[in-house]
Amino acid sequence: MTNVTIWDGWIGGIAVGAYLLVQLILSGKLLGVSTGFGNVCSIVSRNLFFHTGDYETVNNWRLWFILGIPLGGLLAAVTSGGHIFASFSMGPMYDSVLPQALWLKGLVLVLGGILIGYGSRLAGGCTSGHSISGMALLNPPSILASAGFFAGGIIIVQIMFNLL
Amino acid sequence: MKKYSFLFMGVAFGFILSRAGATTYDFYAKLFLFQNLQLFWVILFAAATGFVGIKIMQRMKIKTLIEKESIDYKKKPYTSTLIPGSLLFGLGWGLAGACPGTALAMLGEGKLGVLFTIFGMFLGTYFYGLQMSRKQ
Repeated sequence: MTNVTIWDGWIGGIAVGAYLLVQLILSGKLLGVSTGFGNVCSIVSRNLFFHTGDYETVNNWRLWFILGIPLGGLLAAVTSGGHIFASFSMGPMYDSVLPQALWLKGLVLVLGGILIGYGSRLAGGCTSGHSISGMALLNPPSILASAGFFAGGIIIVQIMFNLL
Repeated sequence: MKKYSFLFMGVAFGFILSRAGATTYDFYAKLFLFQNLQLFWVILFAAATGFVGIKIMQRMKIKTLIEKESIDYKKKPYTSTLIPGSLLFGLGWGLAGACPGTALAMLGEGKLGVLFTIFGMFLGTYFYGLQMSRKQ
């Protein structure tokens, strides 16, 4: 697994907050990621949901934004100074609790992804839209959603690491 | 701002997520086991920085730099599915050790497990779309 340079949490947080502000000043758009996943669904689906409302236009800023994020990860890895390893390892903790067999591990991760994708649409946003943008606006529904995100995370991780 | 410019915005955001430690799977396990609060501080300081900046921008009635438009600080509404949705999201977040933005950045770092997670996110989003169009 690629080792990346990591800043102190508070510095990383200020950087993320500063990013949010720069995006707002440049474009007037609030940071959010999960809605963009639906843009990709629009490309492959004729379903009306993916062509109306938020998805009236598919080729919008959200699509380009989510295409750029992986390149940012690559840039971060390249500038971290070490070697880049493409691997399915997730680090010692997750590797110790998730199945060893790749297909089974993959199945668990697909399930996790489905919960994330489906849950973020039900909640109207993800950690970016609710926990960063929404909490920066002190928006009560976003604060509530963030509490729900954390509650869900604590429940599943406590089960995985302490009960199983 | 041109939509294509958001490719570069994405690069900046992905880079910052990585440096913040948000692309390190085990930080999620450590967060929810209360062993290391790195990502808690990231979210808290990000929201606090955003809060202070937005307050100043609102006070000064700042317009967007390029198009000179007023900024809409649009707040997400409460819905009846917000609480169950956020809990489901949280279960997936802890299970996969990633969220939508960070999973994409992890892909660029060569963390291949997120290929499964990202595929699942598309499926989950697609299921929601199907469900919504059936209701109409």
